[in-house]
Amino acid sequence: MKSVIQIKGVRKSFGKNEVLKGVSLDVKTGEVVVILGPSGSGKTTLLRCVNFLENADDGELTIGELSVRFRYAGKKDILTVRRRTAMVFQNYNLFSNKTAAENVMEGLVTARKVPAAEARERAERELAKVGLGGKRDAYPSQLSGGQQQRVAIARAVALNPEVILFDEPTSALDPELVGEVLAVMRAVAREGITMVVVTHEMSFAHDIANHVVFMDDGLVVEEGAPKEIFFHPKEERTKQFLDRIQLKYDYSI
Amino acid sequence: MGKLFDAALVLEYAPPIFLRFHVTLAIVAASVVGGTLLGLLLTAAQLHRTPGLSLAAAGYISFVRGTPVIIQMFIVYYGLPLALYRVGININRWNKLYFVLIAYALNNAAFMAEIIRSAVLSVPKGQSEAAWSVGLSGFQAFRRIVLPQAFLTALPALGTRLVNTFHDTSLAFTLGILDMLGQAQAIGVRTYHVLEGYVFAALVFVAVSLLLEKGFTRAEAAFGRGVKK
Ligand SMILES: Nc1ncnc2c1ncn2[C@@H]1O[C@H](COP(=O)(O)OP(=O)(O)OP(=O)(O)O)[C@@H](O)[C@H]1O
Ligand SMILES: [Mg+2]
Repeated sequence: MKSVIQIKGVRKSFGKNEVLKGVSLDVKTGEVVVILGPSGSGKTTLLRCVNFLENADDGELTIGELSVRFRYAGKKDILTVRRRTAMVFQNYNLFSNKTAAENVMEGLVTARKVPAAEARERAERELAKVGLGGKRDAYPSQLSGGQQQRVAIARAVALNPEVILFDEPTSALDPELVGEVLAVMRAVAREGITMVVVTHEMSFAHDIANHVVFMDDGLVVEEGAPKEIFFHPKEERTKQFLDRIQLKYDYSI
Repeated sequence: MGKLFDAALVLEYAPPIFLRFHVTLAIVAASVVGGTLLGLLLTAAQLHRTPGLSLAAAGYISFVRGTPVIIQMFIVYYGLPLALYRVGININRWNKLYFVLIAYALNNAAFMAEIIRSAVLSVPKGQSEAAWSVGLSGFQAFRRIVLPQAFLTALPALGTRLVNTFHDTSLAFTLGILDMLGQAQAIGVRTYHVLEGYVFAALVFVAVSLLLEKGFTRAEAAFGRGVKK
């Protein structure tokens, strides 16, 4: 199968703290890649390096026919990469000066020069798909966390990107709102949109993933099919992590 | 000389004084337009990574904020012709008002820069990051996402600044500018009735200040609808 996005040997340090120590990832078309790992293992930093919200110190990124070394990427390369990807943030980051519909339209109209009427139509369609057709004129401050995150997902999907990056999209939500966001993400996955998802929701990860990557301490420790990683992990660190998470699960239920 | 204070004269002097209101307005307009543009440049310089640039901007701002506007006005009035003469430009015959407009714009720029900078910094980083992530360029993100939010945050401070600028214009007459106060002073010298003209000018200042405050309160409510966290 064709790769949508490939990263090779990403390194990133914050001062003396080396957070990514040479991470590689290959995401195929239509695939859902789930990244797991303990807190501080570098998952967020990895996603942020992919769309240049962090400047990686080294490594290479291939997206479509565009190949760039992170260190030498120019403004134009960065803009190209950002226009082929989309991101859903942990704390939504909806534009607070814009309504739900305007949030979805912004990247279409301003960055991609889609005519406003067409963008509005697409925005309304995407909002309806995430169950928020009636909230198109609401400002973010008038929406619940779950609703805001659904708008953020609509904003990402509307851009028709080659891949959507999700960074713990449900971890800032009240428990009763997690379900609605996960349901929307499942629907996005069913549409065949390529996704890279960082999450701590294990059963969701198990259901949705085609490929699971376990990271620890700035490295990919183990990766493979969900069944392999969840039920027959080879590496000791993966086992420990899964046991710990499982334990939390058992207690919380 | 008659009465020390003649209320009837307040009314009599009102028209000639109010006829000079446009000069006061011109100074305010120069302060606002010139100050905002220069203030944006200063903010850009201050937030810039080049240390020399941000240092120079910071130095300028603390100089302006640390000296009275009347001194800045005299420095511009006496200093600018000298400086420009050196590079072969002769502005000795300029209308005095031009120097005042320049001085007030330069002065207001420093205050505007402080207001703009703190408002821009108050917009969460995530707003810019989300804008970049949907493909906006740095400038587009600033212009469409950060600036409108910063503007809303800055509105109260901008209102106060505008009122202060308006009050500051009352020093321009010291250079012989015939604004409202210049006129009040001239009438005082001519008629020995000094107080009446100033009382009328004071009434105008109070009225305009109140109007501005009301206007800004309304603007905050209008722009802020639904947006505020
Ligand atoms: N801007 C930054 N400046 C300095 N250090 C940072 C910065 N961002 C992240 N780090 C550090 O990098 C390391 C990895 O952080 P990262 O957020 O990528 O981890 P994570 O795997 O996403 O963790 P979590 O599951 O808690 O979200 C951490 O030690 C963190 O303190
Ligand atoms: Mg994280």
